[in-house]
Amino acid sequence: MSADEDENAAELKIGEEFLKAKCLMNCEVALILDRRLEQLQQMSDDPTNQMSQVFEKSHQYVKRFSRYKNQDAVKQVREILSRNKLAEFELCVLGNLCPETVEEAIAMVPSLKMEDDHMLLDMDPLTNMVQLSSSECSC
Amino acid sequence: MVFLDIEMQGNVVVPPDQLDSKGLLLRKGIILRLLEDIAGRKASKEHGYYIAVTTLNSVAEGRVQELTGSVGFPVSFRCITLKPCKGEILVGIVDKVLRHGIFLKSGPIENIFLSEKKMQDYKFIMTEDPSFVNDKQQSKMEYGSRVRFKVLGIKWMEWDRGFQMLATLAGDFLGPI
Repeated sequence: MSADEDENAAELKIGEEFLKAKCLMNCEVALILDRRLEQLQQMSDDPTNQMSQVFEKSHQYVKRFSRYKNQDAVKQVREILSRNKLAEFELCVLGNLCPETVEEAIAMVPSLKMEDDHMLLDMDPLTNMVQLSSSECSC
Repeated sequence: MVFLDIEMQGNVVVPPDQLDSKGLLLRKGIILRLLEDIAGRKASKEHGYYIAVTTLNSVAEGRVQELTGSVGFPVSFRCITLKPCKGEILVGIVDKVLRHGIFLKSGPIENIFLSEKKMQDYKFIMTEDPSFVNDKQQSKMEYGSRVRFKVLGIKWMEWDRGFQMLATLAGDFLGPI
């Protein structure tokens, strides 16, 4: 098994492009892919032609695993998470996995451990998110 | 799994029979070709899986390819991609349960293997629906179960144009959910 030697998501050594690029959470991707599907169906008479396997599987995946169906909820989640000093990548992992406690959050995103003075701040937005997800969630 | 929205450069080749004198149809032709190309490309080692093109930023001047008569347009666009990382926590669905481990699928990634050596405390139970059950009988992994795992290793498979992954449950909060 070969992987890039120094690459390790746990320590946020994930390559330049990940740190600089815009990251999207599952729920945001679900909204984008829904819109794309509508466009494809409008644009051509034979929509099944245009959808690749990758698109289809990813669409199923994000629909199944996105906690927030509503566009406003999604915006709120991103806004809440952005209040902390997180890398985009960390923000999306938290938004996707929705940890319920600080311990779970650190297990999911081990690089958070390094910013322990922000841990106190993290608890509030997490509980807000859990409340949002339980009111919006239909998984 | 984190989806990235990246900016990419590409070259869209439009065959001569699709070149129309009306400028509007040309743009649509380029977009459709781009979508087809990306769908065909599926994935790459560098960017991971190409999910969908989001916006077409710019189309530069076309250059005619002398031999075929097609025109190549350099384009700049944004695309959603997905590339798994070592050490990342992902959620997958159990696809096949075997004595020596479980095969999982997660989104477009279809080759994820979780070895039975990497799942401590789980024993293989051979029944009509084989599954792995926890010592304390508290949790079970069978076909269709959702499992949270950590990526142990990734390999790019050129012939398959996809990634192969090794998973592990060694860590807190991992396992069936």
